[in-house]
Amino acid sequence: MEHDVALTVKGLKTYFYNNNRCNRAIDGVSFEIRQGKTLCIVGESGCGKSVTAASIMQLLPTLSRIEEGEITYHGPDGPVRIDALDRGGAQMRSIRGKEIAMIFQDPMTALNPVYSIGFQIKEMLMYHTGLGRRARHDKAIDLLASMGIPLPERRVNDYPHLYSGGMRQRAMIAIAMSCNPRILIADEPTTALDVTIQAQIFELMETLKRDNGTAIMLITHDMGVVAELADDVAVMYMGNIVEAGPVGTVMRNPVHPYTRALLDSIPVLGRGKDQEIKAIPGQTPDPYDRPKGCQFADRCMHRIDKCDEMPPETQVSDDHRVMCWRYQEFASNGR
Amino acid sequence: MLTYIAHRLLTLIPMVIVISFLIYLGLELTPGDAVSHMIPPDAYGSMDPDRLQELRESLGLGQPFFVRYWIWISGVVQGDFGYSLAGGVPIADIFLDRLPATLELSFAALLISTILGSILGTISALTRGSATDQGLTVVGMLGVSIPEFFFGLVAILVFAINLDWLPVGGRTLPGYDSFWDRLPNLVMPALVLSIMMTAGVMRYARSSMLDALSRDFIRTARSKGMPEWRVNILHGFRVALTPVIVLIGFRLPVLIGGSVIIEQVFQWPGIGKEFVSAVRSQDYPLVMMVALFSVLAVLIASLIVDLLTAIIDPRVRLGE
Repeated sequence: MEHDVALTVKGLKTYFYNNNRCNRAIDGVSFEIRQGKTLCIVGESGCGKSVTAASIMQLLPTLSRIEEGEITYHGPDGPVRIDALDRGGAQMRSIRGKEIAMIFQDPMTALNPVYSIGFQIKEMLMYHTGLGRRARHDKAIDLLASMGIPLPERRVNDYPHLYSGGMRQRAMIAIAMSCNPRILIADEPTTALDVTIQAQIFELMETLKRDNGTAIMLITHDMGVVAELADDVAVMYMGNIVEAGPVGTVMRNPVHPYTRALLDSIPVLGRGKDQEIKAIPGQTPDPYDRPKGCQFADRCMHRIDKCDEMPPETQVSDDHRVMCWRYQEFASNGR
Repeated sequence: MLTYIAHRLLTLIPMVIVISFLIYLGLELTPGDAVSHMIPPDAYGSMDPDRLQELRESLGLGQPFFVRYWIWISGVVQGDFGYSLAGGVPIADIFLDRLPATLELSFAALLISTILGSILGTISALTRGSATDQGLTVVGMLGVSIPEFFFGLVAILVFAINLDWLPVGGRTLPGYDSFWDRLPNLVMPALVLSIMMTAGVMRYARSSMLDALSRDFIRTARSKGMPEWRVNILHGFRVALTPVIVLIGFRLPVLIGGSVIIEQVFQWPGIGKEFVSAVRSQDYPLVMMVALFSVLAVLIASLIVDLLTAIIDPRVRLGE
């Protein structure tokens, strides 16, 4: 069981420092990514999803750092403690891109406009493989072809502005997949794309996962995407994972009020336009002025006095955990 | 690309015509004419007005303005630049004699300011907020705000007179003609002339670089696990370069204007120095030609800048 875990994150705390104030962007997050599985991290903007990804990649901005916790990459040569590595050091760089690759939210801006797509793929191959010039070029064409880019021999020399949005994201995935990474982190890869393109991109990621056994960490705020793609899901709120577990369990039996509220806020096809969509009341708290206890308490309709204290992570079942004082009541009343 | 260059060169023609016309008109509007400059002022008053009129007719000054402009411009197009009033020397000869010196000085200053400015600006951006960055910012402000002739005089005082490292001025000594012989003479004027431009390029390169470094593709480049220098130079600097080159193109007139003053300070025998003495002695034909030459230089430089931008930035497609 243990050997098919690709990455373990334990008690991760990443803080941002700004004007002598500290934003506890991630405040004790634990999860693991399994080989060949998709872990979806869902949550509202600003909940720490992207910071989690940046922490794993050691790509945090200068004014932030990992304060506590462990990030362990279970590579072919045994476990590596990523959090202990130097950000720009050779060892981190050999993992970044080769072992753990990343694709970003907006393919329009994530590619460098002054270099051809081929150049940006070959650059990656140059640093992480021993391939020669010619071989790198052929490999770049192969990669584009496998991403479904038509006429890859010609498109490989094209610049990003000649690609459409969906094609750019495919090219980004081609870059990310070029060295057969064990883990692919996708930070809202389809937010900037059309819904039809979104489906194509996800299909592509599914294929890659199946064929290469890549572990995927997919960051999204779309519960529909979670239902579609995830094997495991972690719901984040204000720097904590408030509920996590296999997707079937969490979707069918959500026990955290925030997860339930998220699910209630999605319109369901077929229920007609009169269906009630429950928005979550209130706003996310100011990260510099957080509630003392449960971060969701102020917006929660099940709040009790005890919520002024931070609830511990509790196992609901073997693989389902939650951070809520009253989860048992929600678990028993079903859905 | 070639059609674009041809097209751009063709559009230069009407621009040059309009500007040459304005130059001619400007000088026409100044008080006096060629005759009043050829005759010494004390003799001018006592001369017979009919004789003066006769002289004007014989010089072609009696003809209407447009006819005279036409005669001048058609001569210029055919390579007949006219004669200097001061010495009676063909202006073409003066240009042949003086232009290389000015081009040498301007190119040296352009080269120094482009290279030094971009390097310092990049360093400034990469060490943002540090003492280096703040020091460079102060130096940049001083460079932009203190006039060049002041730097020139201080440089002469320090490096030529007190330290005696470099010659005070001039370009060549008789018998020493190679570039390497001239180099010590070139160092000071070129450096001083480049100060203002270097400072400008530096400030601009800094902000352009900061802008480039904050873009998403820098994060992508980092996520590939490439070393930081490659991320900064190949991805950051390369993108930051385009606006800097455009700025350098726009600043070229400053360089040409500056060379007029610097040539004076360092007794550099270039067109700029000639220009100043031509204005002083009201040598209008020469003034006109120098002005026309500066305009042409700026127009051609801006064409080169556009071509360079197209080479550097693939998104710029010329003439399509």
